Amino acid sequence: MAALLELTDVSVRFGGLTAVDNVSLSVAAGEVCALIGPNGAGKTTLFNAVSGNAVINSGAIRFQGEEIHRLTPHQISAKGVRRTFQNGGLFAHLTALENVLVGLHTRVDSSFLGLLASAPASRRAESAATARARELLDLMQVGHVADNLASDLSGGQQRMVEIVRALATEPPLLLLDEPAVGLAPHMREQLGQIIRRLAGERGIGILLIEHAIELVMNVSDRVVVLNYGKKVADAPPAQVRADKAVLEAYLGHA
Amino acid sequence: MTDIAKKESLPAGGRSRSRIGRSVFWLIPILLLPVPLFLDQYRQYVVNLILVYVPVGIGFNIVVGNLGLLAFSNVAFFGIGAYTSGVLALKLGLPWWATVLPAGIMGALAGSAASVPALRGVRLFYLAIMTLAFGELLRWVYIRWVPVTGGSFGMAVPKPSVFGLPLLTEGHKFYAFLFLVVLMVILTNRLLRSRFGRAFMAIKSNEQAAAAMGIPTDRYILLAFAWGGFVVGIGGSMYAALVGHVTPIAFDLTELILEFAIIMVGGLGSLVGSVLGAIVITSAPEFFRNWLGFQELLFGVLIVVVILFLPRGLASLLARLHPIFVDRYYRD
Amino acid sequence: MRPRASPVLRPAGFDPHGAGPVLALFPQLVVSGIATGMLYALIALSMTVGYRATTVVNFGHGDMVMAGAYAVFVLLGSGMPFLPAMVLALALLFAFGVLTQRVFMQPIIAGPHLSLAIMALSIGYAVRGGARLEWGSEVTTLTRPYPQDAFMVGSVVFTTDDLVISGVVLGLLLALFVVFHLTPIGRLIQAIFQSQRGAALVGINVHAFHGMMWGAGAALGAAGGVLLALIVPLSPDMGVWTLLRGFAAMTLGGFGSLHGAVIGGLLLGIMEKLLGFYVSTVFIDITAYLVTILVLLIRPSGLFGRQASIRV
Repeated sequence: MAALLELTDVSVRFGGLTAVDNVSLSVAAGEVCALIGPNGAGKTTLFNAVSGNAVINSGAIRFQGEEIHRLTPHQISAKGVRRTFQNGGLFAHLTALENVLVGLHTRVDSSFLGLLASAPASRRAESAATARARELLDLMQVGHVADNLASDLSGGQQRMVEIVRALATEPPLLLLDEPAVGLAPHMREQLGQIIRRLAGERGIGILLIEHAIELVMNVSDRVVVLNYGKKVADAPPAQVRADKAVLEAYLGHA
Repeated sequence: MTDIAKKESLPAGGRSRSRIGRSVFWLIPILLLPVPLFLDQYRQYVVNLILVYVPVGIGFNIVVGNLGLLAFSNVAFFGIGAYTSGVLALKLGLPWWATVLPAGIMGALAGSAASVPALRGVRLFYLAIMTLAFGELLRWVYIRWVPVTGGSFGMAVPKPSVFGLPLLTEGHKFYAFLFLVVLMVILTNRLLRSRFGRAFMAIKSNEQAAAAMGIPTDRYILLAFAWGGFVVGIGGSMYAALVGHVTPIAFDLTELILEFAIIMVGGLGSLVGSVLGAIVITSAPEFFRNWLGFQELLFGVLIVVVILFLPRGLASLLARLHPIFVDRYYRD
Repeated sequence: MRPRASPVLRPAGFDPHGAGPVLALFPQLVVSGIATGMLYALIALSMTVGYRATTVVNFGHGDMVMAGAYAVFVLLGSGMPFLPAMVLALALLFAFGVLTQRVFMQPIIAGPHLSLAIMALSIGYAVRGGARLEWGSEVTTLTRPYPQDAFMVGSVVFTTDDLVISGVVLGLLLALFVVFHLTPIGRLIQAIFQSQRGAALVGINVHAFHGMMWGAGAALGAAGGVLLALIVPLSPDMGVWTLLRGFAAMTLGGFGSLHGAVIGGLLLGIMEKLLGFYVSTVFIDITAYLVTILVLLIRPSGLFGRQASIRV
């Protein structure tokens, strides 16, 4: 299977610190690939490199066969790589609905002049997007909070809305940065089911950073372990669990 | 999934207003039409001054309240609008109405110029300091570029006219201004309620996440500054027509605190707030005009009080009266 | 209306545009520039102290500078000798700085930067408005507590103003250096500058520290205001004038850097004089604005600031 996302010998350095050291990995369509490792192992930096928020010093990042590591974050996003953020990347000043509408931004076909003139085409585009956003929220069962400000939502609702927002444009690749933080155990299970469904039913490739090890073991097809910026393992969950290097690097600390 | 869906939603009404509800706002300008019949020239002048400051507040609020960038350059856009209108009328003999659009365009160009540091990643205090320097530099230009601006003494602007009809009284100006103000409010409202307005707010909330949604943040920052500058520039041309005399001192740092007072007291990020702020703030100092320093003291204290006790401004008070007044106001 | 730097540029009885080869004036311009630059350095340093402690730029700082000058003016009027008046004025401004930080800034310290900046700005405006209400329509000056004079060393004219300003600023800088590097409290302050969270962990009252540093900044700024008032008439707007030059100096030196502020101030003073003389007199007014804008556009970290790049 051709890889959806492919990292080849990627390194990211900040001053003297090598945050990501010669890492290669790939994610296929419909595959859930988890990225684990101790704090400071370079997981989020790797995410940032893929989404364009960090500049890579060497190597290459390809998405659907096309090099993306020189593009800006919004260009990469427009190509179909969407992400969530570690500490909640929702727009606090906007409602849940508007958050999803921002997720749909590139798909709303309303023009500046069209909007100023209140042209029917632009108005239609706006209201179609609004309807679509409501539908998506309903689909994830957070439709009833659509008109609440994001900052007024519970932690679980925020996580859901953020995932809906990232998925609004049906991107082929989704990067989830610690989506289970702060969720109660049974909600983690629900989250796990959603992740499996997205990969299984919709064929979305998912790269997942997560500390909740049970969740990782349950949902991933493959687990990549980072330690001090280096890849120390890349195997199915069961195999990784038994790996000595991993135990030392990560599970030993847990 | 019931756990996730635990929190109750707000009572409806709030954000999904009916069309009938919104059309109430059309009544406001219509009800204002007979105003000149009841006011003497001086009081009408004060009302006109309020109208001038509505677009000034709206444009400022877009950049500071909606986009969330700390830019102090609004007075510069205001000044550029006023000078453009004045120079075109005085030097080229254009009638006032023909200078309004150029004033807006010059304001938009100045806005674009002021956004350059923001595009280059200058944020927060740096942007504030830089735009402060930009404004002062511009005021220095007004003073020094004597052949065009008339220097420190400024320039007398010819009597305004609209399509050949001279605006002889304050009441005449009122109708021309009301038209422009309503137009600016409607256009800005359309913009802010669209994906453009959402993009501004998204950038304010979390710029990185906004870019991750595919929003070219640079372009939207530029656009917010340019539209803000456009609206403020039109306010500047109204100012030139109202006062009939454009001087550098009208665009000094005292003006800055007045404009800050408008958006802070009215409500950051709220279109309704900009209008409310212009009404409350602009009418106050006219009565203390000759009391040197009083404006600065009053507005300084007022903003301090508002930040501490009413951080979302008068717009938030109005919103409590009836859901129809709920606007996207500032929260944090 | 606004104070001009010219009294320092053109010492009594000396016309830089007069006779003599143009290049020969270079040392004179540098000397005059250093005297002005000392003043800028002090203002920039006073702003940096408050900024480093609270990470909030005090947009009302210029009005503290102005308030310091007026405080001395009032105290002198009550018959107090100059030096005690100055010391008391600094103490008053320290107290005022602590008070404004604790009462107005601290309650919103966790809020958005926007509110903090506008709060500080508004406090400054209130102070300025108060000063204008009281003194706005009269021209007031401080009487120098020393004779106004000028003398030649080689071909360079020194005025007593230059010497007093430079002397006082150097003295303050030296005192600050000693306090900062050689006393326990100075090391403590440095440690807190490095890591506020660390300081809070070891039991330092960071809130009180914020107030103290805001006050210290105000007092240092007030010293700058008094020195400035020796050479220009008092005006409610003198503070804003210094604020913009202080920003330029801070930006040039690298925002947040203590020694950068001093060096930036000196360079700005010298640049104003050199550009003003060799290129065009307009530069005396606008060098500060141009420096601010150009440095932030081209090299936002200035000369000594840490490079911080965020890619969005």
